[in-house]
Amino acid sequence: MTLQTVAAAEPFVPPRRRSEVARKAFFYAVIVLVAALFFIPFIYTLTTSFKTLPDAANVTFIPHPWTTSAWHTIWTQYDFKTYIKNSVFLAVVVTVCNIFLAGLGGYAFARLKFPGRELLFLLVLGTIMVPDQLRLIPVFVMLTNWHLIGNFSGYILINLVTATNLFFMRQYFMTIPKDFEEAAKLDGAGYFKTFWRIMLPLALPAISALVILQFQGTWNDFFWPLILFGQGNPAHYTIQLGLAELNFQYTVLWPQICAGSILAILPILAIFLAFQRYFISGVVSAGVKG
Amino acid sequence: MWGARLREAGWGYAFVAVPIAVFGLFFVYPFGYAIYISFFHWGILGKQSAGTGTFNYSKVLHDPIFHTAVKNVFEYTIGVVPLTMALGLSLALVINQKIRGRNFFRSAFYFPSIASSVAITTIALYIFNANGLFNHIIGSRTPWFQNAPTVIWAIVGLNSWTSAGTAMLYYLAALQAIPTDVYEAAAVDNTGVWRTFWKITFPLLRPAHFFILVVFGIGALKLFDQAFIVSNGLGGPNYATYTPVFYIYRTAFTTFDFGVAAAAGVVLFVIIFALTLVQRLTVGRQEAG
Repeated sequence: MTLQTVAAAEPFVPPRRRSEVARKAFFYAVIVLVAALFFIPFIYTLTTSFKTLPDAANVTFIPHPWTTSAWHTIWTQYDFKTYIKNSVFLAVVVTVCNIFLAGLGGYAFARLKFPGRELLFLLVLGTIMVPDQLRLIPVFVMLTNWHLIGNFSGYILINLVTATNLFFMRQYFMTIPKDFEEAAKLDGAGYFKTFWRIMLPLALPAISALVILQFQGTWNDFFWPLILFGQGNPAHYTIQLGLAELNFQYTVLWPQICAGSILAILPILAIFLAFQRYFISGVVSAGVKG
Repeated sequence: MWGARLREAGWGYAFVAVPIAVFGLFFVYPFGYAIYISFFHWGILGKQSAGTGTFNYSKVLHDPIFHTAVKNVFEYTIGVVPLTMALGLSLALVINQKIRGRNFFRSAFYFPSIASSVAITTIALYIFNANGLFNHIIGSRTPWFQNAPTVIWAIVGLNSWTSAGTAMLYYLAALQAIPTDVYEAAAVDNTGVWRTFWKITFPLLRPAHFFILVVFGIGALKLFDQAFIVSNGLGGPNYATYTPVFYIYRTAFTTFDFGVAAAAGVVLFVIIFALTLVQRLTVGRQEAG
């Protein structure tokens, strides 16, 4: 609990009250100032995206005149339409695969008994230690040999399921009481049916956290799309690659670049505002347990 | 009885089959394959000659550009980790007060952590360019991200701002786990707020400090996205934004020297692994003593 609770529990002492008010005022001042530091860059970027190119050189927060032309050009001329479509496609497919496979594997590791289970689980945890930078060359060589560079299946294949997600689902399944499965067994349900109809719906809070974190992770991913699509496959660019490209090609087209940045952030902001609770609990539990 | 057990084991293997195949194929096997490749001359068309040896390692370890990359990333890590921890802890202490709208502020501070690194870096390039908002306020014309002496520190500032929210969440969880009676004892002894923080709260947060130090330290050593974006994918000016991961990327995809890139990957892995062990051992000893 906080320090005030302690102070409030003591008998009423006027001087202490006064310092308490001063302290609160101080905290509010600090927090509002810091919040401004977090908001101003986004607001400034948003308003710049409605400026004309010459107006973008002025350090002002109000466009003069207002125009949506930057938004129009990135959507049609610079093909952000395609980038958004590609990013949505990859994020949805990767997230769905992760829910299913991490759920299935997590359930088996949590509840089913089979020889070598602990050893295999150790192997799963071990993969968390292998950094992407070490995998980069061999995975690139393998995908090249299989002709999977520069198409979506290569990206999806290497991201089908992550050890972090599987571990997260396993931990959640372990907290569900066994009564549910025993009841299903008495009703004659098989293992897959028990998983699909009973356990997966019960794990909805964990799935929500997984969906949000995985969607955000794939949406924001820059490294692997750069490796797999960055060698001359603009039709496969994700929003992050498209934004980087716009940045490199047209360094001073600030209204367009700002509009592109907002577009790359906006879907995650929307999801965040809708599901904050899951975001924050997911980060903390993944961090504390993982 | 035997049949039921066998059936359960069969389903167990079936359920983990695809995940295990994915982990085996794209994590365990590449781990060995990377080490294998690092001992050959390996180009875009595969193994180039039968010669085996440690030549790729000696090339990496004697390459002045790799030295610069390591130096840059160490400077960055030494700057960004303590700064992020200090910011995250300060934000957590403020958010942990009973103030109106704390959920709103918590979300506002956390949001940059989950926003796209490319977009955040792009916005920073706009605000910190020579004629940008930041220079307008402080009355300077320094191109912070295009200037060799300042660029790493500009990225330190950017990323500690971005990831302070994550550190804040970890610290908040740790703060809320501290039992109330500890503070009650301090209040009875009439210990001041500042003293209570340094003598009680800060030491009790040691597991959180350690956790955040390791996680953020390892993350910092893998710096790539921001270095790539601010330098237009070139690592300049004057190699100032070269990091080990950037070095691996450039070696692999501009000179197509996969053998050297794989060796650099192994070196980076060893550095990260060794630091994790050192941190674990030293902190473990402190806990014991």
